[in-house]
This record gives sequence, C-alpha cells and structure tokens, in this order.
Amino acid sequence: MANTASAASAPQKVSLSRVLGPAHVWALGVGIVLVGEYTGWNFAADKGGTLAALIICWTIGLLYTSVAMIDSEVTSTVAAAGGQYAQAKHIVGPLMAFNVALYLVFAYTMLEVSNAILIADTIKSYAGEGFESWHYEGIIAGVIVTLAALNYRGVLMTLNVNFVITAVAYLAIIVLFFSVQPWSQGTVLRLGEMVTPDNALPYGWIGVIAGFHWGIWYYLGIEGTTQAAEEVRSPARSLPYGTMAGMITLLVGASLTWYVCASLMPWQYLGYTYYPLLDAGKLTGSKTLEYMMFIATILAALASANGCINDAARAWFSLGRDRYLPTWFSAVHPKYRTPYRSILFLVPIALAFAFIANLGQAITFSILSGVLHYTFMSVNIVMFRNKWPLGSIRRGYTHPFHPLPAIVLFILCVVTFFAIFLGYGAQLTAMVVFYIVMSLWFHFYRYRYVRRGEQFTMPWPKPRGY
Amino acid sequence: MWTTLANAGWAISAVLLLWMLYDWFRTDSTYSEDVLTSSREGEIEAVSEKHKI
Amino acid sequence: MAKYNPPEQSRALQWIDIIFVVAAIFLALWLPLQAGWAGVSRAIQKIDNPTWEALGQTPAQVEQWVKLGFADAAAAHDIIQNKFDYSIDWTQLVIMAVVIIGYFVFLFKASDKEYREVIDEKFNGK
Repeated sequence: MANTASAASAPQKVSLSRVLGPAHVWALGVGIVLVGEYTGWNFAADKGGTLAALIICWTIGLLYTSVAMIDSEVTSTVAAAGGQYAQAKHIVGPLMAFNVALYLVFAYTMLEVSNAILIADTIKSYAGEGFESWHYEGIIAGVIVTLAALNYRGVLMTLNVNFVITAVAYLAIIVLFFSVQPWSQGTVLRLGEMVTPDNALPYGWIGVIAGFHWGIWYYLGIEGTTQAAEEVRSPARSLPYGTMAGMITLLVGASLTWYVCASLMPWQYLGYTYYPLLDAGKLTGSKTLEYMMFIATILAALASANGCINDAARAWFSLGRDRYLPTWFSAVHPKYRTPYRSILFLVPIALAFAFIANLGQAITFSILSGVLHYTFMSVNIVMFRNKWPLGSIRRGYTHPFHPLPAIVLFILCVVTFFAIFLGYGAQLTAMVVFYIVMSLWFHFYRYRYVRRGEQFTMPWPKPRGY
Repeated sequence: MWTTLANAGWAISAVLLLWMLYDWFRTDSTYSEDVLTSSREGEIEAVSEKHKI
Repeated sequence: MAKYNPPEQSRALQWIDIIFVVAAIFLALWLPLQAGWAGVSRAIQKIDNPTWEALGQTPAQVEQWVKLGFADAAAAHDIIQNKFDYSIDWTQLVIMAVVIIGYFVFLFKASDKEYREVIDEKFNGK
C-alpha cells in the first residue's frame, strides 16, 4: 500500500511514491512476460516446427538481452515514469516520445486484454456445460476491474502481489520440469521421437523466420521494468539489477518450457494448442501436475495483466504531465499516490477489446507495437552515446560491446518485421498508418500546447552537436 | 462452481468499479486540480541523482 | 531565442482531443478485425480417409495424440494438414516497407526539428 500517512493532511504537492526495490522490478518485468511461456511462444512451432521454436527462443533471447542491456543503461540514467517515453523525449525528440508512449500503451493494454481472454478461455475449457458467454465475460470483467482496483490502491501492494504470483507460476515450471525426470529421456519425455529429422523444420528456414513473429512472445514486456523508474528507491541500482535478473530468469524458463513441451507433443499439436504447459501437465498423466499447471496458467496471466495495467497507466500519465495529452491525466492520487485517472481511463478500453477481440488478434496487436518500439531503441542508444558520450554524465550502468547490441537489435527487428509480413502484413501496414496519422496530428496540432524547454527535465549538460 | 465464480466476477467488478468512481469523485472534489496535477518529471533526479563525474 | 508560451487549452478542446485519440485507437484496432485482415494464408490439404501413417505420425506421436483426446487420425486431420503458404507477395512487401521506412524517416526528422527548439530554449535561451 502507498505511503498514506504523510499525504493525508492537505498536501501542497503530490508525486508517485518511491517504495519499490529490485525484487519489485523483477516481479514487474517477469510478471508481465512469464505468461508467454504458458501460451503464445508455441505458435512459433506452428509456423516453423519444434526445432524452429528453439532456434527462435535463443535468437529472440539475444534480441531481448540487447533490449535489456540498452534499456538498463538509458533508464538507469533517465529515471522517470513513462520509461522509454522519457528516454525518447530527452534523446530523440518530442514526436518520437509521443509515438513511443503510444507503443507502450498499445502493447500493454493489448497484452492485458490477451491475458484476460486467456484466463476466461482456460476456465471455459474446464467448466464444461452451462458456461455461457455471460459467464465468460464475467471472468474477463472480474479480472480487468479487480486488477485495476488493485493498481488504483497503490503500487507497493500491486507489485507485492505480482511478486508472489509470478514466483509461484515460475516455480510451477521448475516443478513440472523435475517431475518429468528430464535426465532420463524415454521415461516420460521422448524428444527424439517427437522431433525427428523429418519434422524438425517442416517448412525449412523460411518457417524459422516466420516464427520470429511469435518468438517475441517468449519475452515481450521485459522492458516494462522501466515504467517503475519513478517509484523505485534507487533507480540507478534497482532497474539494471531487476531487469537483468528478470532476463536470466526468462531465458532459463523459456528453455525448460521448450524442452518439456517439445518432448511431449507432436509439433502440429504444439503449434495448435493455447496451453502448451497445461497440456504438458496433462500428458504426464498426473492429475496433481495437471491442476498445478492449470492454476499456474491463470496466475501467470493475472501477474501479466496486473503489470500491464501498471505500465500502460504510467505511460499515459507521463503523456498528460508533459501536456502531450490533456494535463487532466497527470493527476496523482493524494492518498494512494497512483496515477488514478489514467488507470481508470484505460479500464473501459481494455474491457471493450476483451469483449470483441480474440486471443490471436490481441497478441498480434501487442507484438506489432513491441517491434516498432524495439526498432526505436536500437537507434536511441546510438544517439544517446553520441549526444552524451561516456564520461559526460553519470550512468547507473554502462552496457558492454557498444554498438554491437544495437546492431543486433536492429537486424533482428528487421527480420521480425518480415516475419510479421508473412501472415499479418496488412495489419502491420494499417497499424503504421495509424501511427502516421497520430504523428501528423501531434506534430502539426497538438504540440502547440506543449511547453518547449520544460520537457527537458534531466540535470544534464547540453547534448553534443546542438 | 465456475459459473458461480463468473457471476462473482460480475458482482466484484461492479462493486470495485463503483468504489473507484466514488473515490475518484471524492478525491477530485476534496483537492484542487493544482495539487492533483503537481507531479513533475525529474524531481527525483534533482534530489537523489547528482550527474557529476 | 524567445521562450515559447503555449496557449491555454479550453476544457472543451481537451475533451475533443481525448475523444479523437480514443476514436483513432478504436479505429486502428477494430478496423483490421472487421475487415478480416488478420488472416494468414493457410489451407487444409485434405487427405481422404486419413490414417496416422498417411499423416506422417510415428507410433510414439500417435500415443500422445490419443492421450490428448484425439481418438483417431480423422480427428487430428484438420490440425496436421493445416499448412502455411509462405509465398511472398512482392507488391505488398514493397508497400509495407515503404510505409514503415517513410514513417520512421518522418518520425526522426520531425522529432529532430522539435528537439532543436527544446534544446535552444533550455540551454541557449537563458
């Protein structure tokens, strides 16, 4: 719960409360992402086969390691709510920042929607007869509104809850892994018989590339840790630490998940199911494991939706604070110290989409915004190093091998755009047209309400070259 | 059991939504808009992070 | 350079901005759903009277299918034979590339123009 005592007696100024530690950063990052292991990543197998899913798991892992490294450096220096939005504003410019904030709000709101749908789908698949669409929607509404209320009440409680449910969902993967005796193939697991030379890459290498689209889902959202920047006690230390720990957790989790699922299911089924880990639990024949994975699927989706509400609201809130959107959104609750108007504003939008979209569509929207966002990040870090070379400002963390991670990230983003084209090209184009319209609107109209010099809030020297 | 849970989902979301709307209304009428929107980016930077080498 | 003082925005205009943004978001997300663009070119390559062998499943794989509730090959047929078509539509690819590249070029150019004003006011104006 937020710090309530000091705020109770008519404050002059309110701000978000700084109460979080590295564990909360981890819970926010991993919490948002972990659901990807429970659903979504396996569609990469649909597109290219089981082996493709593993290749993608590690290649996209490289993409996200670059994201985490780059992000840690910039965020440990630009510590503000809105995360990459504030980074873009200080490094690239206002219009870029506006777009980045929209990517964030889109990616997280659609991810929240996917999670609510996933929970409802999971419950529906176990509920049997008598479970009407009224009930289905009741689950969706219950999830979205309850988590919004939790977020409304304070960030500390929100992320404490996230820590617990994320840890349980992660432990479930570990327990499943050890209970299928991974050291002795043939007992339960039969990798060699599920993945044969004939079916490992059924579409060849084009299938591997096409699968990149869903491979994003293994890790999408880990960059959300930066949204907490204004609420952690020591951003320069906690953010890099929490983000990197989160990335390692996820790489391990993703590999274990692949190993168990690939050893239990024919690839066609793996690419078809919405619940690869739950099905893996089922295939062990143990009811205990099956129910454990059932509960863990729901917990992972809850943790993800919870973190998404937190992040989307922070991004929306920062837009209001800089007058990119009406200042009305930049209100902070004097008692709970949360961006309460932004949280509330996004609830009906999330509900509306949860009722009209299906899981695959919602996930695709989220992925599209994510990839646009990562493309920005690869350019952003190069500009950051050029405008403020090492030594000109204090960085909480300096990532190694620059500019290699930026180049890797950029190339992988281009490949992913191509992968999305193989299947969702029209949707991607439509989405970019939306961003173009919004950019024109912002650049030629909305920007007149923005104070110029005040947007630059960091106590840095003048950037080089200006 | 699941249908009960789903009905509870509707009930809980209605209650919480009403509570949030009530709290929102109460907050907005108790505090002035200037106080509510007084948060500024970069304030923590000025306090805690000194960008000196 | 003179400090830029933005005009105050009236309540009504603030509401119009909010409504515009929300409408644009809904349109962008909803239109592709309605128009049915969110589709992948894939088709079921039908095999008449399928057997597990015809579908290319080994005995170990068949065992798992059965455990998953697919009693015979016919039940799993639609899943197994639902194949992707990865042939590339070059016109569409070019359109997409132009739109994305154009978007990013505009984004960085316009941002840079705005950014120079910000830096001028912050560092040179005083």
